Amino acid sequence: MQYKILPVEKIEKIRTNYIQITIKDEDFASQCNPGNFFQIKADITSQCRRLFKPISVYNIEEDSISFLIKVIGGGTRALAALKTGDKLKIYGPLGNAFPLRQDSKILMVSGGTGYPPLAFLKKRLDSSNNILFLHGGASKDDVFPCDCSYTIDGSFGNKGIVTKDIADLLKKESFDCIYSCGPVNMLKTLAQIVAPIPHYVSMEAYMACGVGVCYGCVIPTNEGYLRVCYDGPIFEAEKILWKEL
Amino acid sequence: MSELSTSLGKINLQSPILNASGTFGTEYFNFFQQGILGAYVTKTITLKPKIGNPPPRLYETEAGLLNAIGLQNPGLKSFLNNDLFDLREYLKIPLIVSFSGATQEEFIRMLEGLELHCGIYGYEINISCPNVENEGIAFGTNPDIVFNLVEKLARLTDRELIVKLSPNVTDIALIAQAAEAGGATSISLINTLYGMAINWETGKSRLSIPVCGYSGIGIKPVALALTYQTARAVKIPVIAMGGIHSWQDALEFFYAGASAIAIGTANFSNPLTIPEVYQGLLNFLTQRNLNLKDIIGKVN
Repeated sequence: MQYKILPVEKIEKIRTNYIQITIKDEDFASQCNPGNFFQIKADITSQCRRLFKPISVYNIEEDSISFLIKVIGGGTRALAALKTGDKLKIYGPLGNAFPLRQDSKILMVSGGTGYPPLAFLKKRLDSSNNILFLHGGASKDDVFPCDCSYTIDGSFGNKGIVTKDIADLLKKESFDCIYSCGPVNMLKTLAQIVAPIPHYVSMEAYMACGVGVCYGCVIPTNEGYLRVCYDGPIFEAEKILWKEL
Repeated sequence: MSELSTSLGKINLQSPILNASGTFGTEYFNFFQQGILGAYVTKTITLKPKIGNPPPRLYETEAGLLNAIGLQNPGLKSFLNNDLFDLREYLKIPLIVSFSGATQEEFIRMLEGLELHCGIYGYEINISCPNVENEGIAFGTNPDIVFNLVEKLARLTDRELIVKLSPNVTDIALIAQAAEAGGATSISLINTLYGMAINWETGKSRLSIPVCGYSGIGIKPVALALTYQTARAVKIPVIAMGGIHSWQDALEFFYAGASAIAIGTANFSNPLTIPEVYQGLLNFLTQRNLNLKDIIGKVN
C-alpha cells in the first residue's frame, strides 16, 4: 500500500453520469487484484478536508489503471471536473481480492456501480472457465458490456431487475461459482436465489480510513461486524447476515 | 534547528504529535516514518470483547465527521495475546494503551492486567466515549466519580496516567482538577462532541445511534477553548485534540496551553497530516529561533 499524488492520464465522460479515469503507475498496476480498491480524491482545495472515496479497480493495462465512477456526490463531482494532467490523491491497493476459479462454470451478476470490479475479474479469470455475465441498471445509461443486460425502465436489454431470471436459469444450468457486486437489495435477493452455490460478493460501504483502523465501514456477519475495507470487500455470501442489512 | 521535544507527566516525547485513539494504526507507517509521532495511542480496549454498534456508523457532514462505532474491540485478553506483542515488536516510539470500562472494578482489573506486561509507557483512561451506554462518558461527567476512579488507578501504576476528558460537560476545569487530584499525570482532551444528522428526505437518522460522536474540523474552536480552560486549571500537562488539520491549527493549541497535540479525523482526509504538521512546526519555530517549550501556554 502506498500514498501518491498522480496526474490524470485520461478522463472520459461515459454517457450522462459516469466517468472513466485512467492513471499511470507501475507499482499500483502491478499490485492490483480483482476486488481491490483505492481511496481516491481530487487534489483540489475544496476536497482537502473531505474524506477519500473508495473506488474499485475497473481495468489494468500494463502500467495504466482505470476507474469507472458514477458521479453521485461532492467527491465524485470533483473527480469528474478533473482534466488530463490534473492531480488526484490516491492510496492503495486496499482490501482483499476475489478468489480466482479455474475450470468452472461461473455466473457473474452486477447491478449499477457494481459493474467495474466484476469486469476486471472477468479479464483476470483464465480461459478454462465458462462465464456468464449479467448486468443490470436503472436505465440504458447504466448498462455496460456483458452477456445479458437488464434495465428497470426497459430502455435497454431485458426489462426488469437483473436477478429476475436467475432462479429459472439455475433450473436449466448448473454453476460452480457466483461472483456479484451491486446494491444491497440486489445482493440480498441473489444470495437467497443462488444458495448453496459458492457465492462471493463485493460489498460497498461508507468509509473513513480505508485501511482497517476506524471500524466505520462494518457489515454484520456470522463472525460479528467485519470491516468492508480490511476484512473485505469480498465476502462469502453465506457469512453475511443479510436480514440485518 | 528548533526542539520539538516535549514532556508529559512522566515521559518525554521526541515529537509533540500523537495520534488520537481509534483513528490510526501501524498501516499509516507505510506513508511516513514512525519517529515523527511522539507516541502511539491504541484504539480503546475494554475488558470483554465489544461488538460495537450496528452500521451505518459514519456520516461526513459539511464540517467534520459523525461516528457511532461504539468501541468495537477484541477485548483485553486478545489485545494482550496478539496486538501487544506485535506493537511492542514493531514500535520504536512509546506505546500508550487506551482503555475503558463499564464499572470502576473493570477499569481496575484492566489496569492490573496491563501492568503485568512490559513495553507499555502509559495509559489513556477513556472516560469520555459518547457512543456506549453506561460506559466511558458515564464516568467522565462527575468530578467525584472521576476523582475516585483515578485515585484507585493511580495507586496501581507508576506509568504515565492520562485521563481523557469529554467536552460534553458543564465545567471541564472541575473534571480536570478532579483527575489531577486523583493522581492523573496528564490530561487529554477532547473526545468527540455529541452530534447528529437526519436524512431530510426520509426523516431517518443517518447513523444507527441517533446521537453519536462528532469530530473533525467543526469542533476545533470548541476544543481550543476547552484546552485553554483546562490548561489554566491544572498543573499537569495537557494533550490537546479536536479538529487539528494543519501545523497552524497545532500552534493555536500549543499557545492555548497544550504540551502535546493529537491528530484524529484529519488522518482520514489526509494520511500525511502528521508528517506535514511536524515539518510545519519545525519550520515555523526554526525561523523564529524558538523551541516548542517556549510557546506552550503563551497566548496573549
